[in-house]
Amino acid sequence: MHGLLSWILWMPVIGLVGVLLIPKGKDQIVRYFSLVNTIVTMVLSGILYMNFDNTISGIQPHLMERVPWIEQFNIFYYLGVDGLSLPMILLTSLLFFICILSSWTITKSVRAYFALFLMLQASVNGVFMSLDFFLFYVFWEVMLIPMFFLIGIWGGENKEYAAVKFFLYTFFGSILMLVGMVALYYVTSDPTTGLGSFDLIGLKGGQFRHLTVPIFGYELPFNHLFFIFMFIGFAIKVPVFPFHTWLPHAHVQAPTAVSVILAGVLLKMGTYGFLRISFPIFPESTVYFATAIAVLGLINVIYGALCAMAQNDMKKLIAYSSVSHMGFVMLGMSAMTIQGMNGAVLQMFNHGTSTAMMFLLVGILYERSHHRWIVRPDGTKGFGGLYTQLPKYTVVFIIAMFASMGLPGLSGFISEALIFIGMYKVYTTITVLAVIGLLIGAAYLLWMFKRMFYGEVIDSVKGYTDMNGREIFYMLPLCVAVILFGIYPTPVLDMMKASVGDLVRLLGSF
Amino acid sequence: MNVNYISDLIAYMPELLVIGTMLLLLATEAFIKNCPKMVSYIVSFIGLGFAAISLLGTISNPAKTIFFDALIIDPFSSLMKLLIVVGTMVAIFLSYSSKDIYKSLKAEFLIMTVGIAVGGMLLASANNMLTFYLGIETLSILSYVAASMMKRNELSAEGGLKYALYGGITAGMMLYGMSHIYGLVGTLEFAGIGSYISEYSTEKLLILLPAFMLFFVGIGYKIAAVPFHMWAPDVYEGSPIPTTTFFSIVPKMAGIAALVRITFIFFNVDGGILQHTWIGVLSLLAALTMTVGNVAAVKQRSIKRLLAYSSISHAGVMMLGAVVISEVGVQAISFYAVVYLFMTAVAFYVLSHISDMNGNDHMERFSGLASRYPLMAILMSIALFSLAGLPPFAGFIAKFNILYALITKKYYVLAIVAVLNSLVSLYYYMRIVRVMVFGAPESTEAIIGFSKLNQAVILGLSIPIVLLGVYWNSLSMFVESASIIIR
Repeated sequence: MHGLLSWILWMPVIGLVGVLLIPKGKDQIVRYFSLVNTIVTMVLSGILYMNFDNTISGIQPHLMERVPWIEQFNIFYYLGVDGLSLPMILLTSLLFFICILSSWTITKSVRAYFALFLMLQASVNGVFMSLDFFLFYVFWEVMLIPMFFLIGIWGGENKEYAAVKFFLYTFFGSILMLVGMVALYYVTSDPTTGLGSFDLIGLKGGQFRHLTVPIFGYELPFNHLFFIFMFIGFAIKVPVFPFHTWLPHAHVQAPTAVSVILAGVLLKMGTYGFLRISFPIFPESTVYFATAIAVLGLINVIYGALCAMAQNDMKKLIAYSSVSHMGFVMLGMSAMTIQGMNGAVLQMFNHGTSTAMMFLLVGILYERSHHRWIVRPDGTKGFGGLYTQLPKYTVVFIIAMFASMGLPGLSGFISEALIFIGMYKVYTTITVLAVIGLLIGAAYLLWMFKRMFYGEVIDSVKGYTDMNGREIFYMLPLCVAVILFGIYPTPVLDMMKASVGDLVRLLGSF
Repeated sequence: MNVNYISDLIAYMPELLVIGTMLLLLATEAFIKNCPKMVSYIVSFIGLGFAAISLLGTISNPAKTIFFDALIIDPFSSLMKLLIVVGTMVAIFLSYSSKDIYKSLKAEFLIMTVGIAVGGMLLASANNMLTFYLGIETLSILSYVAASMMKRNELSAEGGLKYALYGGITAGMMLYGMSHIYGLVGTLEFAGIGSYISEYSTEKLLILLPAFMLFFVGIGYKIAAVPFHMWAPDVYEGSPIPTTTFFSIVPKMAGIAALVRITFIFFNVDGGILQHTWIGVLSLLAALTMTVGNVAAVKQRSIKRLLAYSSISHAGVMMLGAVVISEVGVQAISFYAVVYLFMTAVAFYVLSHISDMNGNDHMERFSGLASRYPLMAILMSIALFSLAGLPPFAGFIAKFNILYALITKKYYVLAIVAVLNSLVSLYYYMRIVRVMVFGAPESTEAIIGFSKLNQAVILGLSIPIVLLGVYWNSLSMFVESASIIIR
């Protein structure tokens, strides 16, 4: 099955070219074409899943692709999957398919919108598949361009500010990573040929412990310095407190589908970066800074939840809840135990599905109400008694809300439980404090639900139509996913078991 | 001394072709009455084209000195000269349709730019103090005229005068420094000065230090390095846009070539105090040049001025390559210079046509370009993102090469300063993209400058930006072979 990864990676690019070739004005054709394109990608991802061998830890040799790209710098076109990236690739394919469906109502420059959207998909897939640091970096940065335009053109009232802030923040993080990447290449360079290495697999294992970096005459330890540089790069994406301030703006201003991708996939790129790059390359620094990571994760959990509690804008509330939930991922990783790490990767996947549902639901409601206020700035209610007006919507909303809250039987519970089990032995106090975050999480979600769905039916809510067939159709797979993986998470856990075990063993040896 | 004039003249062929072009242009303008402008353009393109071809053909020839060691022809100088010639052609093509160059002055513009190119080529291969000075002055004196070509525009006159005043003062300082070096060393030849430096003890060399700093003033002025950059924004803003395009490419290439050469010949002695000081001063100035250029660009409303400041910061990045003093550094500079030429050209071309249409080049004139000329907006965005160093465009690869060169010498601090600067630059480049894409168009009139031909040329100039961003092995190989400097 060599070449399968390339097909998945470049399929959206084929779609992009196709979209651009469709003559102006044929908007419906553009939509259907993009939909078919994402379906093809999804089918290919399904084939990838079928071919994935759960027993192999590390990169699957029969799926790997490695072709020289730039000989002069030893750069390869190097793709591969392992248990860490496969769930993310599957999630990406699913969410992009759903988002194309949810973008049906976009009417402004349809061609450009779908073209940029497919470009985004290609770059996200590229990040999850690249095993060459240079290639990874290129995809990581290319992703900014479609995001910038998607938020800036199709966003809400304050879209330009949000787009610029998002762009600059992420760019700041990635340029620090760039310095680290070049430094790694330099220190691995062969004395005779002068060629270094960008191979993410080859760089693994903490070979850089004894090197130093001269900064203004001080010799700083190489591994710690560049661990911090890369940490900042990925932390901005996650986003880890205090680098999270771009997120509420970007989320609130972005169109629904872009918010879904942002929360569902792009935030995971940050934590994926930790697992793929920071942790394996600098294991000793990871161990050294583990407590700091755990504390940052805890701050994320509590602070994000408290911020969510204070929001009157529904979308902002969900955005802050993402900050809180990504904190759990950080906590799970920092424990560096099998359960914790499994929980973290599972949480990445589960948060992708549940938060995508929440954002899609916000978008569906917004299309009817054209506002997102739970409580309007003048103190009056934005919604009330939605329960009686939109019964189907309410059912889906309840599923999404409970999944995101971590109710037993739904997907969020499993991953959070694993994280807590995994980290209790290591950071008892932090675990106990983190549970408070869970409590606040339940509080803000239920409180939002109470204010919007219960109570008297206010006048503006009357006459909203319930979810239509298309909307139900694209919510369905996500509902199935959160319920199925809540009861039976084994398929996802099996996928990542071997690779997570490898990583934990590596970290454990330092 | 046995000199073979014939072989020297053959090696000097590219310059002779350019000089011949200039003379031919003078002749056509002077002797043919009502000579159509087209003729002058064709003449200059043919002449420069042949010069470019002959440079390309001889680029890999082994290095040799000609005319009693006055000039050196090596792959690096040939590459820089090639860029100078191509940069001149780019500016000349732009001037054909530009309204900034008055119809009656088009031929003068051609003569002036071709003349400046000759000066630049001289500077790029200068091998002793006299030819160096000759090159700089040829470059400068014609530049003063080219800057004030919009006779009826106050800003242009002011720019020209400022340029001349600054040029005069810095040339004087440089000459003063040169005279000291000559007094201490006893030779004007670069090679002789280099061997003197490597032979003598530190105490003696310390006296040379101020002389070299004065000498540097002249180069710093040509590449607009901080703190000798004050003239640049005013001159760039006042000059007609084709001239600005020309100024932000050609003199910079020549200056960088000269800087690399003297750094290589004089300061290549490892661990010497002179080398330490030179590297220290140069890195400080490079860091300042990048930072000042970028920070000043942030608030600009005039795109021409913004690009002027950004070109200052790009010169700073190229100076970083010189700090490294190694083959890798020279390769990085060469790569950067090639890519910079294309990015700058695209940005200025689009700017020029928009400015011609509206009579000024303010940010607002770009508003809504994406809905009126999607292709042009896309190409401009590509050029700007590339200037900011964003993958998958060539500007990123160029930046990557410079970073790599810095890190091979463990200049991590400089590397960090450089990447932080690209963050600042992204901010202001993005402002233009923002206006183009998110803004509403001011009018629906067609922009005259965007004829089919001009659009095709802009497209052609953008192709390398994208192509080299994705696959740059061949250019890398090319600059590797062209970055050999004789010591």
